Amino acid sequence: MRSRRRTSALPYLFVAPTVGLTVAFSLVPLGMLGYRSLQHGGVFGNSLRFVGLRNYREMLAEGGGHALRVTAVYTTGFVVLTMLAGITVALLLNSRTPGVRRLRAPFIVPLVVPAVATALIWGNLFAPRFGLVNRLLSAAGLPEADFLSAPGPALAMVVLFGTWQFFGQNVILYLAALKALPVDVVEAAAVDGAGAWARFRHVQWPMLRRNTLLILVVTTLTGLQTFTQIYVLTSGGPSGATQTALYYVYDQGFRKFDTGRADAMGMVLFLLSLAVTLLQIVMLGRRERHA
Amino acid sequence: MPRLLARRAAVYALLGLAVLIVAFPLVWLAATAVKSNGQIVDPSAPLWPTEVHWRNVPDAWRQAPFTRWFGNTVLFAAAATIGQLASGLLAGYAFAMFDFPGRRVLFVLALSGLMVPFTAIIVPLAQLLGDLHWLNTYQGLIVPNIASGLGTFLFRQFFLGTPRQLGEAARIDGAGEWRIFWRVYAPLARPAVAALGIILFLQNWNNFLYPLIVTDTTSMQVVSQGLSVFQAQMTQAAQYNLIMAASLITVVPVLLVAVAAQRHIVEGITLGAVD
Repeated sequence: MRSRRRTSALPYLFVAPTVGLTVAFSLVPLGMLGYRSLQHGGVFGNSLRFVGLRNYREMLAEGGGHALRVTAVYTTGFVVLTMLAGITVALLLNSRTPGVRRLRAPFIVPLVVPAVATALIWGNLFAPRFGLVNRLLSAAGLPEADFLSAPGPALAMVVLFGTWQFFGQNVILYLAALKALPVDVVEAAAVDGAGAWARFRHVQWPMLRRNTLLILVVTTLTGLQTFTQIYVLTSGGPSGATQTALYYVYDQGFRKFDTGRADAMGMVLFLLSLAVTLLQIVMLGRRERHA
Repeated sequence: MPRLLARRAAVYALLGLAVLIVAFPLVWLAATAVKSNGQIVDPSAPLWPTEVHWRNVPDAWRQAPFTRWFGNTVLFAAAATIGQLASGLLAGYAFAMFDFPGRRVLFVLALSGLMVPFTAIIVPLAQLLGDLHWLNTYQGLIVPNIASGLGTFLFRQFFLGTPRQLGEAARIDGAGEWRIFWRVYAPLARPAVAALGIILFLQNWNNFLYPLIVTDTTSMQVVSQGLSVFQAQMTQAAQYNLIMAASLITVVPVLLVAVAAQRHIVEGITLGAVD
């Protein structure tokens, strides 16, 4: 199969940039992260001394535990909403209704336009007093609200904005998966008189299980990495209500210069992502064997 | 027949609502960007612009170094994307086509980056770049972003599926290994390069957190950062029309690319989900 040619330097030259840069800028920093998370020392890493898990304990006690709970709420809400919206719109686009295929394009737009700009639009729409939403509320005789200044609503806003921005990805992924399903099986169910819901529930959905698992993993990773939206909309506030694990790393590392706590949380974030990624690799391995 | 029509009407209505939700904020952006500031902050003013103030756009552009920020973003996104594609093609090709001692270990190392999200290592990475004196430099922006585990993985898969005979034939004709890669196999990967390239380019273009931790001088910032700085300044000055005009400036180029390369983007998203 493979061309077993005599060993030359060529393959090593070909893989050198990828391997070298990955080691230098992913694995070395990861090593530093693990090491520094167990050390106490200055911002510039001078006079480090081993303190065991103290950074982790401090991190969990000083806002980190709260940030992890916010991350859990944010990621759960984000994953559930983007997946529900994704499969729903994908099913609609996949229905044999004339003209709907062309409607796929709008759903990729929020994915690709800069998040800073779209976050600013959301900020404008939900602004107190003159924002469109508050104007509609007051026109309807309802009390106005300052959506980004109260903890609960702020977190909900960030989840909704994240969903708006990313659900198009799940539309595309589910649509591709639906199109890859064997037509004859779905047709056969239709001939047998199964309605649209029954076809979905008993034929398509079970066949999409593998795709759903993959989409779940990809979406969870995206949720864990959310940063820009929170930076622009709430800066982690009000009073930490939207401070996720990643925002905590940024805040401690680059604003408060407590790198010990930042590194401890970075390590937790790494382990969380690793757990999710390993699940994905197990699935990929299975898929390769099946192919 | 009436049932079919009712179902169609329901599909159109639901999809119409979904498209409205997706598109409305951008329509609102365009409308607000050309309002006078007075109209934006007046809760009783009409929702649609009463007069179209196109001047907001050049005014915003002049208030901040957008030319420089766009230049930095083009350079950063283009160089990082080309680097990712080139290094991924080379490594993917070598892992697919050659058998060499250490291949397994090197393959695991090449893909290990996929398991280390950059978000987790921002603090030590910034310290490392500081030690290298790479903060606020183009090499600091570009070089650490070049390795692509995803590119390596996808191109390896791709080349595993290409026929061996092409290379054998060229070898018999006396072609060297580089020539076989560059002239015979690399051109076959063109569609994959286009799909992955557009996705990587957009990701790099929109990357906010990485430039944020590597650069903090106005002259080195990218356009997303610039917009966020501009926003803070203009909020202080209560110039909301200029904030919206600047946002429009950053959205339009990407929107044009998205419309032009729609097919590749969809393909790239589907490809990217295997990482």
